[in-house]
Formats: sequence, C-alpha cells, structure tokens
Amino acid sequence: MKFFKIISICSVIFASMVNAAKPALPADLIWETNNSAKPWSSTEAKAGGTFTDFILTFPPTLRTVGPDSNSSFRSYINANQLGLTHFHPNTMEVIPQIATHWAYGKDGKTVFYKIDKQARWSDGVLVTAGDFIFTLDLMRSKHINAPWYNNHYSNELTNVTAYNDHTISITGRVAKPKDELHYFYGLTPTPKHFYKNITKDWVKNYNWEVVPNTGPYQISEIKKGKRITFRKKENWWAADRPLNKYRFNADKVVLNVIRDVNMAYKYFEKGELDTFSLILPEFWHNKAKGFLYDNGYLEKFVFYNDTPRSSSGLFLNTATPILKDRNVRIALAHSLNFDRVIKTILRGDYERLDAFHTGYGEFSNANIKARDFDLPKSNALLDGAGWNDRGGDGIRIKDGQRLSVNLVYGRKEHSDRWSILKQDALKAGIELNLKLQDSSSHYKTIMQKQHQIAALGWSTGFRPAYWQHFHSENANKPQTNNITNINNKDIDDNITAYRSETDNNKRIVLANKLAQQIHDEAAFIPSFMVPYTRGAHWRWIKFPDVPANKTSNSLYSPFGDGGVFWIDPVIEIDTKAARKNNSKYPVIERTFKNYLVKTP
Amino acid sequence: MIFSPQAKKRWDKFKALRRGYYSFIAIIILITLSLFAELIASNRPLIIQYNDNIYFPSYGDIIPGTAFGYKYEWETDYRHLKKQFEQNKLDGWLLMPVIAFNPLESHFIEGEYPPYAPSIDSGHFLGTDMAGRDILSRIIYGFRIAILFSLLLLVVTYIIGVFLGALMGYMGGKFDMAFQRLIEVLSNIPILYVIMIVASIVTPDFWTLVLLLAAFSWMGLTWYMRTETYRENSREYVMAARAIGASHFRIMFKHILPNSVSILVTFFPFSVVSGITALTSLDYLGFGLPAPTPSWGELLQQGTANLEYQWIAISAVAALSLVLTLVTFIGEAIREAFDPKKYSYYE
Repeated sequence: MKFFKIISICSVIFASMVNAAKPALPADLIWETNNSAKPWSSTEAKAGGTFTDFILTFPPTLRTVGPDSNSSFRSYINANQLGLTHFHPNTMEVIPQIATHWAYGKDGKTVFYKIDKQARWSDGVLVTAGDFIFTLDLMRSKHINAPWYNNHYSNELTNVTAYNDHTISITGRVAKPKDELHYFYGLTPTPKHFYKNITKDWVKNYNWEVVPNTGPYQISEIKKGKRITFRKKENWWAADRPLNKYRFNADKVVLNVIRDVNMAYKYFEKGELDTFSLILPEFWHNKAKGFLYDNGYLEKFVFYNDTPRSSSGLFLNTATPILKDRNVRIALAHSLNFDRVIKTILRGDYERLDAFHTGYGEFSNANIKARDFDLPKSNALLDGAGWNDRGGDGIRIKDGQRLSVNLVYGRKEHSDRWSILKQDALKAGIELNLKLQDSSSHYKTIMQKQHQIAALGWSTGFRPAYWQHFHSENANKPQTNNITNINNKDIDDNITAYRSETDNNKRIVLANKLAQQIHDEAAFIPSFMVPYTRGAHWRWIKFPDVPANKTSNSLYSPFGDGGVFWIDPVIEIDTKAARKNNSKYPVIERTFKNYLVKTP
Repeated sequence: MIFSPQAKKRWDKFKALRRGYYSFIAIIILITLSLFAELIASNRPLIIQYNDNIYFPSYGDIIPGTAFGYKYEWETDYRHLKKQFEQNKLDGWLLMPVIAFNPLESHFIEGEYPPYAPSIDSGHFLGTDMAGRDILSRIIYGFRIAILFSLLLLVVTYIIGVFLGALMGYMGGKFDMAFQRLIEVLSNIPILYVIMIVASIVTPDFWTLVLLLAAFSWMGLTWYMRTETYRENSREYVMAARAIGASHFRIMFKHILPNSVSILVTFFPFSVVSGITALTSLDYLGFGLPAPTPSWGELLQQGTANLEYQWIAISAVAALSLVLTLVTFIGEAIREAFDPKKYSYYE
C-alpha cells in the first residue's frame, strides 16, 4: 500500500512538472476566424471521373526538401499538404485550413493557432501540435541536406510552442504586418508518427516514400518514369468545409510523363489528355486550330488574372566596367525594341512588363513605365557618355574598347527574342553577344555574378522583396540574389525601413518610393509579362461561371486553389461518338475579363 | 600539278565513274558559290550609284545612313533607299543580290506573323523561319559554315591522326601499346555528350567547337594509318631507304605516307559527312554555334518543332540530304577508283 502511495505521489509531482513545462496561453488573446469567405466553386459540380494531365519529366524524388527536391512536381505534393491558414484566392482574406482560429501576440511577431480537432493525416492519425514542432525539427536537421531550409527555419522562425495538443504559437524573428505573419510564419505540419526520428540516411530513405498528407488527394500509384496517380480520399476530414464543397471533383488525377510538349499536344488531340495550357503564342495560334476546334470538341478559354508577375527581364551587372555608367544602362534600355518582339513573334499576346514588382496591388508603383525603344535618346546618351566614335561595323568605341556586351540566357526557345533585340541595338551602336547556356549553368553564372547581362525571370512572392535583390549587403558577392550588384545608400535605407515597418500603409509608401529608385538605377530592363492564363480542354470538362480565381496561374489545376472543374461522363460519351461520325457542336472560345487589370 | 602515273590512272577511273564525278563538280561549285555568299544573299546591294559616287557595300565596313542623306549613323536601310530611288525621290540606282536578305535579319511583313510561306513576291523563295529570317539565305550561309567547319575539322583530325598513327606503326613496341590503350579509352567517350557538357558551361564559338570535336575524333584514322605503316615498314623500299641512311622522319613522311595515301583519300568524303552531321546535330540540340548564327541544325530543329510550317523542315532536310548524298557519291567513286584490286603496284 505504501508503495502505491509513493507511486501516486511521484506521478502527481511528475504531472505537475509536465504541466509546469507546458507554457500557459496568454489570457488576453482575441481569437479570430473566418466563416464568411465566399466559395469559388459551383453547386452544379459533379463528383467522379479521372482527370488526366501530363508532366514533362518524372520527378527525381518525392521528398519536398533536400537534394533534387526542387522539381516542378513538388507543387503537386505541396498542394495536398495543407497549412494552418490560407489566403482566399480572390479577396486575399485569411481563411482557415488546419487551424480554425488564430490570434496575434502583442510582440507583433507571434501568431497563435487552434488546430482543427478533426484534422487527420491520410493514414487516419490525428494532426497535433507535435507535428508542427516536428516540422521545425526536420527543417533544422543537418540530415535533410538543405542549407537554405536549415537557415530559414533556424533564423527566420525562432520558436514553436505547444500549449496543448491543439493549440500552438509560432514566433518569427521580426515583427511583420498581420497577413504576412501568416504567410511567412505559418507552418505546414509534418507527420511525426511517420518519420519517427531523423537519421543521416533520411535523404536516401525517403526518396520514394509516399508521406501521409492532409489534403484532398494522396498519391496512390507510382510507375517510375511513366506515371503518377493521385486518388481522392474517401472521407477527407475537410470535405464538408464550405470552401471545399463542390471542389476536388475528379476521383483520380493521373499525371503521365510525356517528355516533349509537342508530343503531349498530340496526346491531347487524341483525347488522352483532358486539358492543355496554351500560354505560348505558337501553340495558341498555330497548333490550337483545326477540325477539333471547328467542330466544338475542344473549347478555348482565355482568363485574365491579377496576380504578381514574374520579374522577368535583363539584369545588367553594374560591376561590369561598361555598364557601370548609368547613362549607358539607360541608353541600352532605350535601344531594345521589345515592342517589335511583342508585335511580331509573340503575336501581340504578351505585354511589356513595366517594373520589377508588377501586379502586387498597391505595393506596385503604377506610375513607372518601362523605358521605350527610342534610338535618338539612346544615341544622345551614348554620345554624352563618351562613346562618340563608331567602328567600321557601326559599333561604338571608347578608348579602344568596343561597346560590346554579352547577354546570357538559359532557354533555347527565347533565342529569337534576343536575336531581334540584337538587330535594333546595333543601330544604337551596341553589340549584344548572345550566349545560350544550359539552364543550370546559366543559374550558376548568374549566382557567381560572372554575367554582364543576364536574361532571367524571378518567381513571385507575397509582397515585393527588395533586400535580396537590391540591398548593398548582397552586392558584389557570390550566391546572393542581388545580381545587378546595385549598391546605393539611399536604396539601402529605404529597404531597411521597409523591412522593419509593420504598418502596411507606410510600407506601401516605401515600396512605391523604392520602385522609383530601382527604375532610376536602370540596372533592370523589364521584358515581358503574360496578363492571363489560357488553354483548351475537351468539352466534357465543365467549369463554374467564372472558371478560375483572381490569382490563378492555370485554368486546370486539380489541387490547391483549383479543383473547381468537373468531368461530365455523359458529355464525354457524346463527344467521343460525335467525333466518330463527325457531327458538330457550337464553337466555343471564351474570354473572361472578370479580373482584367485596367492599365491606367 | 603533275600526277604520278598511278594517280593519273586513279583520277581517270574516278572521272569515268560519272555519278561520283558530277557530284564532285557539283559540290565544288556549291562550295565556291558559298564562298561568295555575300554577293548572292545579303541585304547590302551589290552596287549603288548615288551622286556621282559608286559604292560596293557587299564587303567591308557599313555605310552609315548619313552617306545617302539620312539622319542616322547606323547602317543604311537599303530597302528604303531602293524605294527612294525607284520613286525618284533620290537620284541614283542600286542593284540588290538575287536574295535580298541577310541571314541574320528578321524581316517582318506588316499585318502578318512569321513564319512567312515561300513566295516570289516577298522575295523569300523558301519562306522564312519562326523569327522572320530568310530560309534560303540561312541555308547558303549555313552551308558555308558547315562545309568549312567540316573541312577544317578534317584537316586537324587528319594531321593528328596521320601523324600519331604513322608514329605508332613505325615505332611499334611500348609507344604503340601505350597509344593503343589511350585511343581505346578516348574512343569510348561519347563525343556529343562531352561537347554538350562543355557547351553547357561555356557557349562555344566556331574555333572551340572545331578543336573540341577534333580532340575526340582523331582516333578513327590512327588505326588505319598504323596498320598501313606496319605493312609498308616491312617492305623492301623502306629497308633500302634505311640502308642509305634516311632519317626516321623522312622514311615515315616521304616514303611510307605517300604509299598509304589511298586509305586517307577514301576516308576523306566520309569524314566530311561526319563533320557536317556532327555540327548539325549539335546545333539541332542547341549546343552548337551561338544564336543567331545561320545553321542547318537550328533550322531543322525549328522545322520539327513546327511541322505545320512544312517549308522549314522541307528546306532543311532537302539541303542536308542533297549535300550528304553528293558527298557520299563522291566517296563511293573514290573508293572504287582507289580499289587496290584493280590498280595496285607491288614492286
């Protein structure tokens, strides 16, 4: 009896110790949620069917971190791994995902989350606070062989605290505006029960493991080198949420590996693929025509979106002697005839990008216009900069040096664009030497800052990011993203202010100021943007009245914010029969301007 | 040039093989013409007469627009100048080449998108490629580059191959053994892959491509040279030369080499073919000469990616097949003319 008493006393002490170790939740938290967000699906959607799409290469691994994980396939896996909160794709308001409620700490850098008690992994295990702490453990582990993640999850995210199994808080390094706290500090859980512990063989062991996830689909079959199949979960825990209803309609999503786009298009015409994105002008205008369209079997959609645009263009390395002179940089910008490229080989489909950060709403400076093709201006500037003489070939010369610069680019398909620019630059007495590199060595050249001019497009972010691209701390050193090597005290000051500011209104003012300063530096020459997404699909693929969202980059994404389309089996049978006996449906070619950005 | 009786016989035999001989003449004409491509296909006129001055702009420096009263300093827009002459706004005349397009210039037709179909009116006899560049013009300049490339490649590989092969056969022993192994190793390296790897790091130009390809393709010839030298080495005339004190170098290159020349000559056309195909395949894959250099491989690539514009692929394939067939005919004829079963002279 005495023995039992000791045990029970010990357990009480132990329990109180555990409780003491568990920090208490601040009392004055104001919990927020969002039940009023408007769904973007259609109540007419029918569940069922198989949706077939293609990928150009088979992924080198199924891991989402570590070596080789940065393939385009990662987005398919990540789209089925829900985060704590999400942004409404049309209104950008915060909407619940795994978290039902959230609250903000007084320090401005902590967010509290209540985890949905229904949330389950695909193997049936409940999602708990421990899975979020485990994300941090995994991302900080040396064994995942991913220095960027190690660094980010150690320095940017400083702490994750579990208050109980279903309440956590996440603290980041610096205070940020509320929406950005969710974006930058909101974690995705990692199934602790699946990985158990992280050993030095982690990278090798998990190359082809299908990791439990929380989203609507899970990988059900892998045929190496050929095909990956996703199957819809039968009792997905979040299926009844209003925002998820009538979405994720296909039972199966099959991704076939087709290594050539032209070949893939032939499969599409045969009806073996349901949809085909047709952003490239040569596809849209040249290939997407003929009897399949004239008979109405295939429908064409153009959807204008309003989303941050890739910062694509020419990055002039200001550390290059010739390009050190700002006037030469401006002259170069005026000597490039982007409009000619757009009007000819791009068939007027693309638009000129005006600034580094375009499409970020108020954070973009709408007054900035890209420098247009203006030979007199270009010639005057170069004459003024001391490049008055021209050699026998028409190229300008100064102190025995020719005005000849190398332009490195990484995509063979873009050769024609640069060739056309080259021809007009010649008139300004500038010689552009085009250097095509394989994409990985292209990236390496740029990261080593060995380029003179680099053609490149940065992917977009939630908010404009200046520090990595324009702060002097990143200039003139390898492996940073300041590839123009801009080094300007005034810009630095504004970037510092922008980074530490938590009031969005003040940040907008700073962002606009910075955009102007970056334009004035003229080290980035914006090239093209595509203000829409477009494609063709077989008529059995059906859509809501508005087929996509303000921020959609594709009409046909089956996961993530997409999954609104459905497959109509009756129409499928009809259409296939009609194709056999060559009967016709009305031609359908629709343009959706719901989110068209009006140019001022 | 004085032929030895043996060479004369071979030449006569070659001439008698009509197919090969005519192919030979045709290819010589084509090469000669391509050397003067600037006079056949260019956006610079052959001759301009303006204000009592006569200009020949085809070669050399650009003539700035200011020379013809334009306000710009860059190269004159001759197409515009021609119109001015025709409409009598300016006094003078000019004569354009048959194909009035430079292989590098994109020529766009108002209201239409490239590629433009072949047409006599537009002057694009074989149409244009995806960037609006004249295909015929690119084929001509592409031919010049390809043929010069393969001839140069051939010279470099022959010099290395013949020299090393002869040395191996002549010296024998350890030297021979060492080089045999080296060659075996080298020949097992897939050349195209090596070049792709190099090309992905540095954009190759004409000369680096020649050297790179030569570095990995001289091996084929060494085997033949080696066996030939071995055989000749044991003949009496070599012994005789040695007896009167001829140097090794003299024996190898003055006595043995001329007697092995038939082997080299038979391989000649096939080496040209392989040079052209190597460059074309590299360009096709995008690892060859930098854009916008005119190239058959690049044209072929555009053609296959855009099969709906048949004229691109057809032009490239036709040009390639024509030249490769001609060279192969020559090769066959040479092989027959040099066939030792009919004409061999042993002492």
